[in-house]
Amino acid sequence: MSDDKVTIEVDGAEVEAVKGQMLIEVTDRVGAYVPRFCYHEKLSVAANCRMCLVEVEKGPKPLPACATPVMDGMKVFTKSAYAIGAQKATMEFLLINHPLDCPICDQGGECELQDLAMGYGSDVSRYNDRKRVVKDKDLGPLVSTDMTRCIHCTRCVRFGEEIAGMPELGTIGRAENMRISTFIEKSVDHEMSANIIDLCPVGALNNKPYRYSARAWEMVQRAAISPHDCVGSNMHAHVLRGRIKRMVPHANEEINETWLSDRDRFGFEGIYSSDRLLQPRLKVDGEWRDIDWEEALQTLADKLQAAAADKVGILASPSSTLEEARLLERIAAHLGTNNIDHRLRQLDFADQENDPLIPTLGCSIAELEKKDAILMVGSDVRREAPIIAHRIRKASLTGAKVCFADQEKRPYHFDVEAQTTGEDLADQLIGILSTVSMDAKLPKSIAAMCKGVSASEEQGRIANALRNAERAQVVIGHNALRHPRSSTIRALAAAIADVCGADFGVISEGANAAGAHLAGLLPHRGPAGVPRKSAGIDAVKMNARDLDVVVLFGLEPDQDVVNGADAVEHLCSQEFVVSMSPYKTYALDSCANLQLPIGTFAETSGTFVNCEGRWQSFGGVATPVGAARPGWKVLRVLANLLGVENTKYQDSVEIRDELQAVLGDAAVESNGNSFNASTSAAADSTPRTSTIPMYEVDGIVRRAVALQLTMEARRSRGEPV
Amino acid sequence: MSKIKGYLKTFLLWELWQGLSVTLRNFFRPNVTVQYPEEKTPQSYRFRGLHALRRYPNGEERCIACKLCEAVCPALAITIESDVSDDGTRRTSRYDIDLFKCIYCGFCEEACPVDAIVETRIHEYHMEAPGENIMTKDKLLAVGDKFDAMISADKAADAKYR
Amino acid sequence: MAEIQNFTMNFGPQHPAAHGVLRLVLEMDGEVIQKADPHVGLLHRATEKLAETKPYNQSVGYMDRLDYVSMMCNEHGYVLAIEKLLGVSVPLRAQYIRVMFDEITRVLNHLMWLGAHGLDIGAMTMFLYCFREREDLMDCYEAVSGTRMHATYYRPGGVYRDLPDSMPKYQTSKWRSEKEISKLNRIREGSLLDFIEAFTDKFPGCVDQYETLLTDNRIWKQRTVNIAVVSPERAMQLGFTGPMLRGSGIEWDLRKKQPYEVYSQMDFDIPVGVNGDCYDRYLVRVEEMRQSNRIIQQCVAWLRENAGPVMVDDHKVVAPTRLEMKDDMESLIHHFKLFTEGYCVPEGEAYAAIEHPKGEFGVYLISDGANKPYRVKIRAPGFAHLSAMSEMVEGHMLSDVVAVIGTQDIVFGEVDR
Repeated sequence: MSDDKVTIEVDGAEVEAVKGQMLIEVTDRVGAYVPRFCYHEKLSVAANCRMCLVEVEKGPKPLPACATPVMDGMKVFTKSAYAIGAQKATMEFLLINHPLDCPICDQGGECELQDLAMGYGSDVSRYNDRKRVVKDKDLGPLVSTDMTRCIHCTRCVRFGEEIAGMPELGTIGRAENMRISTFIEKSVDHEMSANIIDLCPVGALNNKPYRYSARAWEMVQRAAISPHDCVGSNMHAHVLRGRIKRMVPHANEEINETWLSDRDRFGFEGIYSSDRLLQPRLKVDGEWRDIDWEEALQTLADKLQAAAADKVGILASPSSTLEEARLLERIAAHLGTNNIDHRLRQLDFADQENDPLIPTLGCSIAELEKKDAILMVGSDVRREAPIIAHRIRKASLTGAKVCFADQEKRPYHFDVEAQTTGEDLADQLIGILSTVSMDAKLPKSIAAMCKGVSASEEQGRIANALRNAERAQVVIGHNALRHPRSSTIRALAAAIADVCGADFGVISEGANAAGAHLAGLLPHRGPAGVPRKSAGIDAVKMNARDLDVVVLFGLEPDQDVVNGADAVEHLCSQEFVVSMSPYKTYALDSCANLQLPIGTFAETSGTFVNCEGRWQSFGGVATPVGAARPGWKVLRVLANLLGVENTKYQDSVEIRDELQAVLGDAAVESNGNSFNASTSAAADSTPRTSTIPMYEVDGIVRRAVALQLTMEARRSRGEPV
Repeated sequence: MSKIKGYLKTFLLWELWQGLSVTLRNFFRPNVTVQYPEEKTPQSYRFRGLHALRRYPNGEERCIACKLCEAVCPALAITIESDVSDDGTRRTSRYDIDLFKCIYCGFCEEACPVDAIVETRIHEYHMEAPGENIMTKDKLLAVGDKFDAMISADKAADAKYR
Repeated sequence: MAEIQNFTMNFGPQHPAAHGVLRLVLEMDGEVIQKADPHVGLLHRATEKLAETKPYNQSVGYMDRLDYVSMMCNEHGYVLAIEKLLGVSVPLRAQYIRVMFDEITRVLNHLMWLGAHGLDIGAMTMFLYCFREREDLMDCYEAVSGTRMHATYYRPGGVYRDLPDSMPKYQTSKWRSEKEISKLNRIREGSLLDFIEAFTDKFPGCVDQYETLLTDNRIWKQRTVNIAVVSPERAMQLGFTGPMLRGSGIEWDLRKKQPYEVYSQMDFDIPVGVNGDCYDRYLVRVEEMRQSNRIIQQCVAWLRENAGPVMVDDHKVVAPTRLEMKDDMESLIHHFKLFTEGYCVPEGEAYAAIEHPKGEFGVYLISDGANKPYRVKIRAPGFAHLSAMSEMVEGHMLSDVVAVIGTQDIVFGEVDR
């Protein structure tokens, strides 16, 4: 036996354990359940609920399993009369001050206190005195509070300190007067703050938008994938009679662990917005008229068939599913047009030939926390992908040097090694590159840029951090992708990564940019990245060129496309614009000629390919609103009407499998990292920032009522907070 | 001797006359049937008939939408939708009982922590059109309001047994 | 000569004498039955599967609806099986109440059987008299549970409520004078126990009346004596239980052989038949009513003397009282959890059988430790009896089929489940 192993006895059975491990980890491993409230495997040990008391031989008193390290030869009894008596007594104390709220408490039915009171408590109370009452806190629009129910496990406090990095909640007072509180009256504003709802073992912290609307036992749990960022967080939708009531995290250690960002948790509210388009409709003499699906699709098919091939343009959201992207691409190929794109917010396409097959992070999400140095270029990572920010924070906590090259200084909840700011990201990268590239061989164009540049001190520190790291990572974010010189920025960042031996990747827009690349939702490349004979026009040019038919899929041109107002104006002047979107908006009403309601991520089955290249398929979780139909079904019927061959798909899985067969090895290698470090011709040199606020990334989030009430959203709208 | 007796009985239809004497005696007894509906058989205060939703004396609805009755209903006859009411309390926005599904087991009444849903002694009701079998919240409250005195008395009489 | 073929005739499922939804395909040679093929399943409601999808307590009400003329006995079998798995012992008072109501149920069942059997083979008066007495017993059901039929009264751990100490009374109306009403209400002045006692006092006289009408009646005897004779050996081979078995002369009664609840404290006899024909089974059942009456009397006497709880005092299984639930936290939590999830029953399996009015009614439960049974199997006595139909009617006349259906005391709620 090695030195760090000890042998202990749990309920009479010998168990091997690692020295320093807490008892509860060992008992959990061998399946000897010990009741607990405050212990959580993702949080530090507090040992303040005392529910996990167990009997240890020769122990002077019952010991808390969560805070007792194992020792060689220890004999532990989790089910002895002594242990059960201690647990029962603890439970009695916990219930002394608990209000008789079960019937009106949202936690009822999924409450750890109820479960453990049934399993480990007495069945009758001996307490006849008055109970204490605590005033409720206003923690903002996402979390409701009933603080009288609190049992002071401090999971929420520890979450703020250890996971969020923002100690928003704390304890004040002691003994009978102890309270969980924000120190001053304020809301909880962290982008993952709503995880305290899941952590709270009782009904003290609850989901505010969900308040009083359903019971745990009556809802159906269905797996879903988050559509709001490229992480693809795994969630469970809780559905009551076809309607999503709430989202909870679906633990996946590889992606989101047990957490969920607020955007993923509350974004679904947008599905039930009053903006939903309920019926296909056609503009006749400037008036909208509801029509049935058959007529709508026939009209569209006729228009598409009548249009000249190169006069058809297709713009799709990067959050379209893989299946939808595949069908759009097949329809485009059938029509003979290459004018098809999903990169709606990108300005600079000069370097698109050098794009990797798919945009990835360059490493898996879980690997991020093992990095020694990370450089984030033009990325407001907390808002772009909160889960990635959390992984970076974990890396930072273990000593990684995290650096930023960004347009402005932003608050981070972890130590930042160095941060350069400035409107032109490329200049900052040139500075960094000039420090690291002394001895490296760079492509001529890049080397030319670095000539004669002297780096600032911050830039030097970034360069040092990257160069000295064993496992370094360079990631470019949304602001860099949307930058007018994004090609140059990408080339420079890739060069830095190359020189420093770092992995290189991007945080792509939307939930499925990778899938859109694979399916060939690009003007210059078809499925599996095969270059097209002649490149079609990109998203930006599409909003400048006159076309016969423009197909908008899952997007709102005024919000989702760069220079939205111009785009809408241009679309208004087009011959025939069809919008397939879950929503109707003022802009779409004015510029479109035909509107088809399609289902949101929750109402369709499909696949998202996340920023690791991980394919995650999901089924529909909710009943579609109105006459909306899953996008792939609409496109399938359209393809049938157009006479596209072999499109009699029965389900979305068939489409996915077909694409997988087309991709062959490309699908397997898709996690590659092959940026060519070549530069583009200098594009538009007027630098502009195009930051999209966190809660405005897509149509669903924009309509999520609770999210729009948060401090974050109000601040981004310029409202007084 | 007994053989002769047996023959005699057979030929004189002895056992038939005996039977007829029973029916004759019953013929002159007071009848046990009642003249329904003017007259009714006795009904226990525990009777489980038509449902009602009750109110507090101040007119406030008792039901707090805890959904215990919905959960315990073996026939899945109860459908509740709940929401935050205007005054911030937990209330039902829909409370339907399908009388066709209901098996009148009384579990909803047992489960209710605030004595809101009760089964009353009303058993003479009928439906004429499809959909009338659904007792909506309004209908249930109306039953509760109309028969409040009777329900209160019945429940008070039974309180000591529960 | 013309070819002679057996004639196939369809009997039921809408035949008034089919006792519900029995469909028999009869193969006849003239008016003589060659073969009878019962078709069952028309009242199948998947009770077993329903029970497997619900917490234990929620299925009690469905047991009532198995054999819908002996409701509480069905409940009894089910709750006994659960109690066996849970390992709880029921308070003595609850045991007496259960025994008393089991016997009331037996009388209810036999009265129903006697009335219907009589009506089937030509004795219409029986039906009226039997229903007259049934009405009083139905009142007992209603007084104690709130319903005349589907009581949902037995619960794992006891019975739901104690016996009421008052009985509902007739109200005056324009049809009856004050005096007549008070005469009607005379037996209703006291508690339920007084009412039951008054019933047991008069009931033997009622049985005498039935017997006067039937036992020696030549028509009755012509229709039942030597009809469907089953030998004791064959009765055992066919899986007969209850009066069907005892009618063939085998003294087998679970109340004596495997006493449950407080049957071992009771003084009663088991009647057995001699010939194993319809007439003997009739005599057995009539005598059983008299014996049940004796048991009820003994229970009433005990229950008068001994007050006490009617539910176990373990709120992990039995919901706390309403007063407790409204007052303390532990009770509220237990109330909440018991009515939403129910309780978890330890892993294991149990078979509990009771002497049901029709025979051995058994419930076989498998628990995987969850809050709902993994498997419920109901052993319905009627099913075994019905499967002997062909053998019992073979060689008899068509009109005897009705007598045999009657003597089997078939109820399709339990046969089809």
